[in-house]
Parts: sequence; C-alpha cells; structure tokens
Amino acid sequence: MAIIKVQDLKFEYQDIKNAIGGVSLEIEEGEFVCIVGHNGSGKSTLAKLLCGLLVPTSGHIYIDGCELKAELENEENDMLRRRIGIVFQNPDNQFVGVTVKDDIAFGLENRQIERNEIIKRIDEYSRLVGMDKFLDRSPESLSGGEKQRVAIAGILACDTDIIILDEATSMLDPKGVREVLSVISNLKHKKTIINITHNLNEMVLADKVIVMNEGLITASGDVKTILENEELLKEANLVIPDTIKLLNMIRDSKISEDVEDEVCQLIFHR
Amino acid sequence: MNSVVFGQYYHANSWLHRLDPRCKLVSMFMLMIGVFFIRRLDVLALLFALAIILVISSKVPIIKYLKSIKMIATLLIFTFVFQVLFNKTGNELYTFNFTLTYFNLAAGILLLVLFFVLGRLVKKLRLLQFLATLAGAFSLQMFWVYGDVITPYSITIHDASLINSGIILVRVLILVCMSSCLTLCTKPTDITLGLDKMFAPLKKLHLDTSIFTMMISIALRFIPTLINEAFRILRAQASRGVEFSQGGLIKKIRQMVSLLVPMFVIAYKKAADLALAMEARSYIPGHDRTSLYLLKYKARDYIVYVFSLLLLAGMIVVRFVL
Ligand SMILES: Nc1ncnc2c1ncn2[C@@H]1O[C@H](COP(=O)(O)OP(=O)(O)O)[C@@H](O)[C@H]1O
Ligand SMILES: [Mg+2]
Repeated sequence: MAIIKVQDLKFEYQDIKNAIGGVSLEIEEGEFVCIVGHNGSGKSTLAKLLCGLLVPTSGHIYIDGCELKAELENEENDMLRRRIGIVFQNPDNQFVGVTVKDDIAFGLENRQIERNEIIKRIDEYSRLVGMDKFLDRSPESLSGGEKQRVAIAGILACDTDIIILDEATSMLDPKGVREVLSVISNLKHKKTIINITHNLNEMVLADKVIVMNEGLITASGDVKTILENEELLKEANLVIPDTIKLLNMIRDSKISEDVEDEVCQLIFHR
Repeated sequence: MNSVVFGQYYHANSWLHRLDPRCKLVSMFMLMIGVFFIRRLDVLALLFALAIILVISSKVPIIKYLKSIKMIATLLIFTFVFQVLFNKTGNELYTFNFTLTYFNLAAGILLLVLFFVLGRLVKKLRLLQFLATLAGAFSLQMFWVYGDVITPYSITIHDASLINSGIILVRVLILVCMSSCLTLCTKPTDITLGLDKMFAPLKKLHLDTSIFTMMISIALRFIPTLINEAFRILRAQASRGVEFSQGGLIKKIRQMVSLLVPMFVIAYKKAADLALAMEARSYIPGHDRTSLYLLKYKARDYIVYVFSLLLLAGMIVVRFVL
C-alpha cells in the first residue's frame, strides 16, 4: 500500500485561487521522489499540505491509510503529522535551538522523548550527518550546508517515516550542496523521501520525478523519460540542463550508439 | 569552548558560575528585596562589602562590572549631587561660599568651551572630564575672587541629606553589582532554563509560563542573527551612499528609518518561517515537553539558599525590629 496517497487535493490562498488545483498522487514506502517545477508552481504549498501545516480546501491526504485532517487538533492527527519531517529552504530560519545540540533535541523534546534517549539520539544522528564535532556550536558559526545537515539530523532523530526536502540545497554553495547531497543519497530507500529541487544531480537520484506547473501535476515518470522530453520541460517553464541538450544532440546526429550510451550513463549514473 | 557567548556572559570557572541558575535567581531576588528594606548606611555598607566579595569571587574581571556601573554612573552622580544640594534636612554640616564675578563667569564659560573642544579630541572618560570642568569652574568662584562682583552666594550641605543620598548611591551600587554578578556568571540560556523549571509547577494553577520562556529562548537565539542582518543592511545602505553617523537630527532619523524598515521586514519573515518550522517539528504551544537539560540542586545550592534566607530575615529584623 502506498505510504502517501493524495486524492484530488485543492488549495487556495486568499488572493491566489488554484495554488494547488486538483492533485492526485501515490508514493510508495521507501521511494525517492523528486518534485520539479518553476517558481510559484505550487511545490512548497503541496509540501506544506502533506505535512499538515496548511489545511486543504478540498481533497484527501492519506498517510499509511489514515486520513490526515489538518484542521483537527486531536491526538490521532498529531501522531499522523509526526510521521513526516520537512527541511525548508532557508537554513537560518528553521534553526530553533541556540546550539546544534539544542536544535536536534527540539523535535524530540516536543515528542516528549526521555532525556537519556534524547542524548543518545543526538549522538547517533549528529554523527550520521557528520556534525558530531559541532554539538555546542551556535548557528552563527555554521555554514549553510552545516545548518541544513543539522536540520536533517533533527528530523532523522525523530524517526519520521517520510522526509520532505523543500529546496533544501537551493541556498547553499556548491560545497554545501555536495555535503547535503551525500547525506541524502545515503538515506535513499531507508526512508520515503520527497525532494523538491532544481538540481539535476539530485534528480538523477530519484526513482520517480513529478513535474508541477500552475498547481497541477503535468507529468510523472522516471528521470530519464522526464528529462528527455523537451516539449514537457518547455511547457513547464523548466530549464533544460545543458548535459541533456548535449545528449539529445548526440542522439540526433547519430554519431554512434556507444558514445550515446556512455554519455547517458554518465548523466543518469546507471 | 565554542558555546554561545552573547549577552553579558563571561566564561570563567568560579563557584558562582557553577551555582544552579534557579538558586542564583531566587537568592538574587531575595537580596535585592532585602536591600530595599534597609535604610541605614552602616548596614548598607556591610552589604556592599558582601557584594564586593561576590564580585571578586566570581573571577570575572572587575572591568566588566565597572562597565555596568558606568552605564548608570551619570544618572547616579547627578542624583547624588542634586540630593546633596537641594535636600535640606538635618543639621548644617558645612557651608561653601562662592562669589560670582564677571571674570570667573567668563572663565567658567571658557572652561565649558574647552570641555567641548576636548570632546572632539579625547572621546574617552567624558564624564570625568565634565566633572573636572565643573569642579574647576566652582573652585574658581570659591578661591579666586577677582573683578567686578555680580553676586555672592552660598551652598550649605546638611548631614541628613548627605546620608540619604549616600543610601541611594550605595543601594544602587549593590543592586548593579548583584545583577551583574547574575548576568556575568550565568549564560542567558541557563537563566531561561532556570526560569522555565522554576515556574513549571505553576501549570497546575493553569498559569502556563512555558510559552513565555520559549519566547525568551527564541529571542536569545535570534538576537545574534538579527544583529548580523543589521550589519548587512548597514553595509548595503552604505554602498548606496547612506552615510551613517553623520549629519543632523533629521538626517539621523532618516538613516534610522533606512535601517529599521528592512529590519522589520526581515524579522517578520523570519518569525513566520520559524513558526512554520517549529510547528513542522511538532511544537504545540502549551503542551508538555521533555527537556534535554536537567537541573539538579547540589549541596552548595542549599547552602546558598539558607544563607540568603538568613540574610533576608536579618535585613527585615534590622528594618522593623531594631
Ligand atoms: N503565504 C502565501 N500567501 C499567499 N500566496 C502564497 C503564499 N505562499 C505562496 N503563495 C503563492 O502560491 C503560489 C505557489 O507558491 P509555492 O507553493 O511557494 O511555489 P513554489 O514552491 O513551487 O515556488 C505562488 O503563486 C505564490 O505566490
Ligand atoms: Mg518553494
């Protein structure tokens, strides 16, 4: 059974109708899904709906078969929300703690985990993201990539089944992107991951890519079919990566099958 | 090592640093209340000596305390001087006779001008400079009577008013020393933690203080970030030709606006994002939470509690019984 099932989801902001205009999707447990789409296409809104941070105008969201009713404030609903963690775009504005340690602990404290267990998990997950040497650092003394890794550790420590990354690498420098990416790729198939991104290197990690445009899902499929469909990308106002253009050029000019295969492998790592 | 150091906190290794923040808060509070009961200069002097002992045993450089005192020094000195000059209670102690002449009036004005000129060159210790200027001007009027007399006048010092102003002075000094002791020896985060644990039982009375302490700790977290932002904006505005720290009042106000408006927008955006991030991590205001930090009283905390209680009782006795 799909761990996330969305049926005909709609959402509107006060001034923007159809911010999400009827979205249905299914995501399997352990799947790594990328969502792409130009700015303002509704990706973040969808992510917030999935986390129960926004209340849909209509439609249904099922997490592991249970319906998430964001408007209700009951125990059941809180439990359901706790199965999803999200990392936002801006590393500064989601760092709640005064130190790295405090920040990783924040979600655990809210879940009323025992103190000893909190200490154990801080140790475990800070090591997993390579931040165990920085536990007493304040956010000012950390780079963006380090802050995002702390945010990921905070969510992993809460042991959520689903992790959503909302352009978590878009404000980072190349080094930061690499650091975060290596953490993310290690999580592949251990958690259900929804990665909202513009980065081709992140997309090629995905089992499935979902393209959004104007609050709707316009396509979904594996990376290769999506990226090679120039029409589709143009329609969704997406930039076609140069490497893909190159691949298409090689293909069109019919130089040789071997070169084509090799380039293909280089781009998609498979 | 790299732990958060902002606010006034000064890292050192003294018994005051190791004391439980709750104990420090409560004892400080009791002593401060007590100090207000006391109206005798001799007892206050004793308490001041105690405050000095605290200051020295905190292993924080004295200069840090002097800085706190400096902030209110102007106010303190003027209150003291005005009290002594205009509060005429008790017996006459001494009378200063002054004679104002055209000559030493001019000399006084000249000194004042000198003071302002000096201010352009030497920016430090302005208060001392000012006091020296005043002392110079008045000693001229006392000892150097020359030229046509405008008017003679005298100032009488009374003993009770001198003591009263002394009481105010020492009292404020004690309060400043003690509160600086608290803020210099306790991390802001520990103060919040102490407050949080201290007031947690109030929840049974349907008074929830956890939201309040969460607000303080979030504020503490964001003060350095916002300061960084402020500097960023200052630089950005400077590169657009805004010259800070120059120009008259109107210009200064305009400069402030060019800083405050973007700051407000940034703070608002950050607050909105942060609220979302907190909610996403299952924070529900007012709900029970566990805590990474544990506060545990040690023997020394109990000793300090008992000592401060005794001290408070002593002060009440001094005030109402003796
Ligand atoms: N808080 C908000 N209030 C009003 N409109 C919003 C808000 N957040 C996003 N929008 C609008 O909703 C649309 C979708 O935004 P968003 O989900 O943030 O897109 P994306 O993350 O794909 O860039 C945009 O047109 C945006 O302007
Ligand atoms: Mg977005």
